[in-house]
Amino acid sequence: MSTTRGLRRRVALGAAVALTLAGLAACVPSEPDGASGGESEDPGRSDGGSGGELAIGTTADVVNFNPLVGNSRTDSWVTNLMYPAMMTIDDDGTKVPALATEWGYGEDGLSAWIEIRDDMEWSDGEPLTAEDVVFTIDAVKAEQLGTVAGMISAYESATAASDTRIEFTLSRPDGAFLNSIGFWMPIVPEHVFGQAPSVADFANDSDWVSAGPFVLTRVERGQRYVLEAVDTYPLAEDGRAALDRVVFRVYPDVNTEVLALRSGEIDLIGNALPPSVARDIEGDEELQTFSVPSLGWAHMQYNMRRSPLDRVEVRRALAHAVDYEAIREVVLGGNAVSANSSVLTPTFKQWVDETAEEYEYDPELSRELLAQAGVENLELEMIYDAGDPNISSWAELVRDQAAEAGITITLAGLERNTYLARTNERDFDIYAGSWAIIDEPQSNFSLLFAPEGFINYAGVNDPEIDRLLAEASSALTVEDARGPLHELARIVTEQVYDNVMYVEQFTFAASNEWTGFQPKPSELLSVVNPQSLASVRAAD
Amino acid sequence: MSGLSEELTAVAAEPTPASRTWRAFRHNPLGLVAAGLLVLLLLVAVAAPLIADYPRGYGDDVLAGPSAAHWFGTDHLGRDIFAQVVWGTRTSMAVGLGASALAIVLGVAVGVGGAYFKRLDGLLGLFVDVMLSLPVLPLMILVAALAGPSVTTLVLVIAVFSWPEVARVVRSQALPIVTLSYVDAAHVMGAPNRWVLLRHVLPAVSPVIAVSVVVTASRAVLSEAGLAFLGLGDPSSWSWGTILYNAQRSGALSSSWWTAFFPSLAVLLLVVAATLVALAYNDARNPRTRQDRSR
Repeated sequence: MSTTRGLRRRVALGAAVALTLAGLAACVPSEPDGASGGESEDPGRSDGGSGGELAIGTTADVVNFNPLVGNSRTDSWVTNLMYPAMMTIDDDGTKVPALATEWGYGEDGLSAWIEIRDDMEWSDGEPLTAEDVVFTIDAVKAEQLGTVAGMISAYESATAASDTRIEFTLSRPDGAFLNSIGFWMPIVPEHVFGQAPSVADFANDSDWVSAGPFVLTRVERGQRYVLEAVDTYPLAEDGRAALDRVVFRVYPDVNTEVLALRSGEIDLIGNALPPSVARDIEGDEELQTFSVPSLGWAHMQYNMRRSPLDRVEVRRALAHAVDYEAIREVVLGGNAVSANSSVLTPTFKQWVDETAEEYEYDPELSRELLAQAGVENLELEMIYDAGDPNISSWAELVRDQAAEAGITITLAGLERNTYLARTNERDFDIYAGSWAIIDEPQSNFSLLFAPEGFINYAGVNDPEIDRLLAEASSALTVEDARGPLHELARIVTEQVYDNVMYVEQFTFAASNEWTGFQPKPSELLSVVNPQSLASVRAAD
Repeated sequence: MSGLSEELTAVAAEPTPASRTWRAFRHNPLGLVAAGLLVLLLLVAVAAPLIADYPRGYGDDVLAGPSAAHWFGTDHLGRDIFAQVVWGTRTSMAVGLGASALAIVLGVAVGVGGAYFKRLDGLLGLFVDVMLSLPVLPLMILVAALAGPSVTTLVLVIAVFSWPEVARVVRSQALPIVTLSYVDAAHVMGAPNRWVLLRHVLPAVSPVIAVSVVVTASRAVLSEAGLAFLGLGDPSSWSWGTILYNAQRSGALSSSWWTAFFPSLAVLLLVVAATLVALAYNDARNPRTRQDRSR
């Protein structure tokens, strides 16, 4: 096996393209020398340090060190290790305690409270208290920061009832409020961020202060980001991270990351692996892989503002003209599960609708439905992000399969910004894409299906959906919200408002020399979440 | 008297320039092989439907290495790479020839126009210089990204950025021609500009044009492969660049060499063959390089 791989590698290296990659890889820095960094300071170990260094590959630089503003994946990976969230998510897609210990709503739904841990402190010695939480949410509300601002429309005010208890006043009952801020809002230190005239403009690009397992100490743009372990991190088993240091290294793409992982230059690839790479790596004895489900889904939406896509028969015809199982097996290499064409995906055990059924692949039925609708020679354009390897691959299958049903689909694989612009202008017939995280159906679904929803690409405008959205969002318990959400999801499937194709299972790879990773759902949390990196240690 | 008639007979038996060129070309084995290769690639492009089924859908054997069933192996969706290379020849050739034809028309018009109409020369020369100084690849990427991917876009984008080189070469060839006495004679006889250009100037620069066609076409194929590799190719048709792009974005590049090797080989063969043919033709056409061989 290793001989075959050696041979393959040698041949591949001979190819001109591989030479280019090798050239790019040459830009990667050599082993970091802890002592040589002039500005490097070690806030960490007093015990001399023996936990070692974990090098993680990423494909992008950190754009913004302010966690309330930055939201790219690498931004979040790095800042999540310093600014704790109050909740995290477990394998069932349920929110569980992190910084927070308990939370709940008042009976009328117009008040809410959170209790946080009393043993957390910032790396400069200041305690992390309820005041920091109040400061953070007020800054988000006042300056409309990041995605969190869109989740707290019901929020009016908060007070720190004690060092560990925060009490919120809401303008209307919102059953997703606590989970949304608990999961999405990183808590920042008031004594640092409060110094800036405006939190939005605070770059936070030096002298970092952390309440997570690690603190950023050195940044070399385009090359690496060095984070040292802090002395105390109560959420870790031993009260601090087992590692001494985590280094994020920047690579041009996943192919180069794989070469770096195999050569031992890095220990873990932060990005999810494309299926063909995952398949290849799973047979490698020196590497370990982790599989985690997505918290979103991949889908197609049909623009109902355009004729004949405003007719449900035509949308159904399109939905039945795709072989979803083939896409999951061939394109995703089996690394995907069916969502049974429901927006309540199996990742979220508490919400999933067991009675949902997937659209069957039946080109004949598609032809009949089109005939019923009196539509002939249907020609449509499908837009997608050409940079997304999975979607660009299955777009070709969708086109070829739709041709069997007599539907002509022209592919428009677009550069990402063009794709986003056309999506925002709703300038498409068929949109193919994916949601990264839809974790709170009670509130997120109004973005998707309310007439003015920010990401209501298909143009859903259905009074029954609106009624169910209102009912679900004001429900304060999962049991109360489940009924309206199930009803809503059934309508979405019947009317093909959103054609949910699959839930991807992401694969991550790491070297066998490390153990203790704690994979969590989604590419955002994956194995680089704070709990996971705090518990990673060298394998025996 | 007899000496004169001998000389006349000799002139009458003297072969035409075309046949002399052909004779010299035939004696260059490298040129002949390269020309054969080009003809073969053209045949593959024309006869693609007879050679392989159009690669569509998906296959059972994902990323299988070269075998009797799949000569060039299969890609990440189990599609036959041999079929992709065969059908890719079509798009690559079409883009190459289309872009080259357009670039030649533009380049010859500007080059000959500049050389012939002195008043235009400064302006056209400046324009060509500006075009040549532009960073071509980033601009091609920008235009292709904004215009959206399609074969037509590729042809236009590549042609727009390829003609200045043709213009410069053609102009330098045409400059001495327009000062020759037979051109002046035509002017004195009152011949219109169009007639002089078509009868005297164009035929004189035609060898340069012939070489430019081949070289520009091979460069256009390279540009097409480059743009397609960057994801700016036409997703509705196969080209060699698209096959490479699929290999790269699916991550198969590092583990399955055949996904990149065969399309790269096709690009390499075409470019090398085109360059060799152009060189051989140039050598055969040029009396100075041909002299040794014809003696």
